[in-house]
Amino acid sequence: MKLRSRQILFFLALIAPVGKLVLMPAQIVSVSKNDLLFPVLAQLLVQAALVFCVLLLARRERTLYSLIESAAGTVCARIVTVLFSAFLLFAAFLPVVEQKTLVRSIFYDTIPAYLVFTPFFLFSAYLCARPLSSLGRMWDILAPLSAVGLAGILLLSAGSADYGALSPAGAAGVQGFLGGTTSSCSWFFDSALLLVLIGRFPYTRGLAWKGTLCYLAGGGILLFLLATFYGVFAEIAVIQAHAFARMSGFFSGMTVLGRIDYLFIFAVAFVMTFYVILPMQGAVGTVTEAFGGKKALAPLLSAGVNLIMLILVYLFHFHTSQVIRAITGTLFWIFPVFSVLLPLLLLLIFGRRPHEKIS
Amino acid sequence: MKKFLKTIPMKLWMILCALIVFTFFSNDFGLVDIQKTALVLAAGIDRTEEGFALTAQIAVPKGTDRTTGGTSSVEIEGSGETVSECLADLYAKTGWVPKLVFCDLVILGESAVREDTFDCLDYFLRNEYIPDSCLLAACEGSAKELLSSTSAIDDTSALALEKLFSDAAQKSGHVMVTTLREFAIGYFGESHSGYMPYVRSQAQEGDAQGQGGAQSSGDAQQQKPEEKIYTARETAIFSGGRMAALLSPEETFAFSLLEGNVYAGTFTTDEKTYVILKNKGDISVRVQETPEIRLSILCKVQIYGESETASPEHLAKGELSPEEEARLSQTLSECLTGLWNTCAESECDLLFFRRSLKRTSMEVYGRWKDLPLSSVAVSIDARAQSLK
Amino acid sequence: MEKKEISGNLTSDARTLKTLLPAQDILTFDFSDGKSRKYVCFFADALTDKDLLAEQALRPLGRYAGAPEAKTMATHVLSPEVRTGKDFQKLAEEVLAGNPVVLWEGADEGLIVGTKKITVRAVAEPPTDVAIKGPREGFIEDVKTNTSLVRRRLKTGELMIEMLTVGRRSATSVALCWLEGTCREDVVEEVRKKLSAIDIDAVPDSSYLTRFLTERPYSLVKQVGTTEKPDIFCAKLAEGRAGILVDGSPIALTVPYLLVEDFQSSEDYFVPAYRATFTRLLRLFALLVAIYLPAFYVAAQLFKLQLLPVKLLLTIAGSIRDIPLSPSLEMLLVLLVLEVLNEASIRMPKYVGMALSVVGALVLGETAVSAGFVSTPAIIIVAFSGIGLYAVPNLIEETSVLRLAMLLAAGSVGTYGIVLLTALTLVYLVSTENFGVPLGAPFAPFIRRDLRDTFVKYNLLSLKERPASLSSPNKRRQK
Repeated sequence: MKLRSRQILFFLALIAPVGKLVLMPAQIVSVSKNDLLFPVLAQLLVQAALVFCVLLLARRERTLYSLIESAAGTVCARIVTVLFSAFLLFAAFLPVVEQKTLVRSIFYDTIPAYLVFTPFFLFSAYLCARPLSSLGRMWDILAPLSAVGLAGILLLSAGSADYGALSPAGAAGVQGFLGGTTSSCSWFFDSALLLVLIGRFPYTRGLAWKGTLCYLAGGGILLFLLATFYGVFAEIAVIQAHAFARMSGFFSGMTVLGRIDYLFIFAVAFVMTFYVILPMQGAVGTVTEAFGGKKALAPLLSAGVNLIMLILVYLFHFHTSQVIRAITGTLFWIFPVFSVLLPLLLLLIFGRRPHEKIS
Repeated sequence: MKKFLKTIPMKLWMILCALIVFTFFSNDFGLVDIQKTALVLAAGIDRTEEGFALTAQIAVPKGTDRTTGGTSSVEIEGSGETVSECLADLYAKTGWVPKLVFCDLVILGESAVREDTFDCLDYFLRNEYIPDSCLLAACEGSAKELLSSTSAIDDTSALALEKLFSDAAQKSGHVMVTTLREFAIGYFGESHSGYMPYVRSQAQEGDAQGQGGAQSSGDAQQQKPEEKIYTARETAIFSGGRMAALLSPEETFAFSLLEGNVYAGTFTTDEKTYVILKNKGDISVRVQETPEIRLSILCKVQIYGESETASPEHLAKGELSPEEEARLSQTLSECLTGLWNTCAESECDLLFFRRSLKRTSMEVYGRWKDLPLSSVAVSIDARAQSLK
Repeated sequence: MEKKEISGNLTSDARTLKTLLPAQDILTFDFSDGKSRKYVCFFADALTDKDLLAEQALRPLGRYAGAPEAKTMATHVLSPEVRTGKDFQKLAEEVLAGNPVVLWEGADEGLIVGTKKITVRAVAEPPTDVAIKGPREGFIEDVKTNTSLVRRRLKTGELMIEMLTVGRRSATSVALCWLEGTCREDVVEEVRKKLSAIDIDAVPDSSYLTRFLTERPYSLVKQVGTTEKPDIFCAKLAEGRAGILVDGSPIALTVPYLLVEDFQSSEDYFVPAYRATFTRLLRLFALLVAIYLPAFYVAAQLFKLQLLPVKLLLTIAGSIRDIPLSPSLEMLLVLLVLEVLNEASIRMPKYVGMALSVVGALVLGETAVSAGFVSTPAIIIVAFSGIGLYAVPNLIEETSVLRLAMLLAAGSVGTYGIVLLTALTLVYLVSTENFGVPLGAPFAPFIRRDLRDTFVKYNLLSLKERPASLSSPNKRRQK
């Protein structure tokens, strides 16, 4: 079972955007107000360029670990891999916390019990133990599901949106733009996720351009969703913590049909479950590869990682806002280090070498 | 060791299955099932000296006996300093967990709208389990009395009130409906304004006479509660969260026309009833030396009824003569003027003049945002065209 | 020392063979040519057509006066199915298979005569796959008849039928069928290898073989296709699959298997494409509703009331007001009752069927609701779910377990439990492969061309190529 280039394109276009639909919109609105699209656009352009870089790196058809090992030796490669995996686990924490709040909000009518999110970690432990190359087939199913979910939500919410609320452009000023850009760093690390996957799919001609275009297309959908979100909620957007789940509830047909938007919301939430687990799966996969690839290692690592994540999530259960502030505010700089600097560095070091494949 | 490791997955699966079966049978997540919940269909809020009084209209499921059909309800009041405390009081009184996911209507009594309405609406906006699409309305008297009254239309007063705010009613142009989301956007926006339909209840005329007859005959049986009819042809307008003025039915209709809501709505003037089959409304702001607000409506109209009998040919066409068009345009123009004057006098930026300024540019907004509405120049263009 | 092969000494040879066949229904018949040559014929009483044996073999042998070499004698036997054999074990197996063996003095080999007479039922419409339009024949328990049904439909020299024997004590004949040049050679080779490696006492049914053919024997999902109809079997062979017919079982197996095949019925190819599309989508809808409806009903009542419109919710709330059980227990109970009814209706004698239907419908249904043990919505949901599962009968084992699992997830964790279990099931399904073909194809991995014959069915004229999922060496099936 290997990843295909088509599956990578599906991921970039339709799965990567869904991770940015929960807390990020409200977070950016709190800083950038009606100029929320500009910081996101900036992030998308930067990430698109980095996606291009990473896909160019993928021409070597070698994994991150084997690339570094061939240049710097096993010890160095292991150190870098462990650091990178640690970053992925750090990066996974916010999406998991988001997912927890989302689940408690959209799947239950009243505040549910403390432990209701625990089964997520059981599923995550199972998925993380699976090889990374098994992701591809799930993306073949998740991509159309995501497309249908997002399209449904947009269709149901576009009629209630006042897009004029986005004007005047530039009202938030440079401060708003910079604030929005820094606070959204925690959600834009798709290039780092792609680094995990290099060497597990064959590079086909033009994949770097196609991947970049797909990522930008997904970014376009994200921007449209954000615009619609702000159009629907305007001044009260800052309190709408679960953006995509709330914006479609104003469709006039709801009075007759009932809450049909839940079909689309659940579809997107379903896709989100896999996206949220991806960084953890990447961390487990890369460490397993670095330390010998023994059959028992992946399940053990997966169990350990998920147990730690579960403990942390419940440790900070009553400090969610502080956690979000810490990650998006104080520690935002960690994300560009691994999602911007690392791919660029790798491309500089390995991108110039002649194209070679593993025999 | 290898053998032991091999048996781990199976053991883990068995432990997992046992846990799931245990949670299934114990249902020990502390969740509340339908039998223990109070499904709140509507909430009425009145201010009291201590804070608020919240009257929840709770749906009571009827049995499976088809003869008794429909939805019955019970009204329970809770009081406290905040709305949240009122709900806790409700829980304490009834033992039912109030669930507001189906709360589609929030009614504010006269006492509640005199002060900042967001003192109480804040709870509904924050709570993620309450839909922002719930309807808002202000009422004459107390919200508790309104919800507790018996409607001639439906067993449950909340459902009867929701019928007043249906899509069809909106299209008639005689009701301006708002949701919590829209009201909140207006409140927190530059215009700090909003509106709600103003509900009045009156006894059904036939019913009043019947009641009198029963009383005079000295009937020992219990009398049927007085059935009420609700109307919402007036609109309460809010500035800074407080009710600033009340729009008359004509002004409400003009407001509907401006919003472009009317479709096959009727309008009676000069002893003639017109049906407005299609309408376009526009509110625009121009800034030259001073800002000017322009209100324009364009309606496609047919005559629906006259107090004098017309010839069959005239009836068949339903067209308006040019004089009739001009007269109707003038009337509509006057209604729009009345609307604007009411807004200006009460300093209620109902037509989002300041918001439009801001959307033009920040510089323009900064310059004119404090201009009183009464100083804003207004141009009104109302055109009624006969449907040919 | 035990002899292994024929020596030519009739007495000794007959004694050796009798030792291997001690059962009382294995009879011997001594005859001679009237001069010096004596014969002994071994045959299984119930499995031999004695008239045919006498006519085709014994009479000519009784008149034969030539050389005692078996091969020469065979030419004088009037049966088209005559073989020779030296090995006593093989000869014993032939007798047990219903083929009489003749030994004589001075024989170098024994004669095996094919005069089997096995009582089999007539070819009839299979009860599990009924077609309103299309062929009505179904496989029966006799592998020879079954291969004849296949041969009749695929009159091509490319149709290969290889007979294997599986089962130490049952010696069950297994026919491996494939179309040369259409089915992948590695698939055939792998099937052959797996069947040959089976070491088991008996194979009473083809389902025994499925465990040995799959890569994940403990899997919850089937990985081998099944059918009782020769037209479907031949269509699958023509698509590039290998087929297995097992003696004693009317259910044929096909590999590689795709999950989507169970949503296709033979009738889909005999009706217009739009109708076929509609019925396939209907099956999918019925199956999804059957699996999810009980779970969502429970989840809605316990965890997420908003899933139901308020008026429906109030009706349900009114119905369940006095029910003593929680919604999840009530649903579980009714589902279990349905499963028991299902099981009993299959097992019970025909004569009590009517009485049990009355018990099931009236007592368990109406009376239980009137008594307040269960609510009407629960009965309606379980009934619809029960019917919906049978829209795809080939997946009934998997889907009934999945339905129960969904209910457990919904009753314990709620709506999110359903989502997680669905995710787990999907991951499991898409990662299952057999013979190199993923179970979830052509959805995962996504193969656009093959989508023309999945839930949406294109016109037959558009189906020019074989499914790419099966990687057949011969891609084109229609010009």
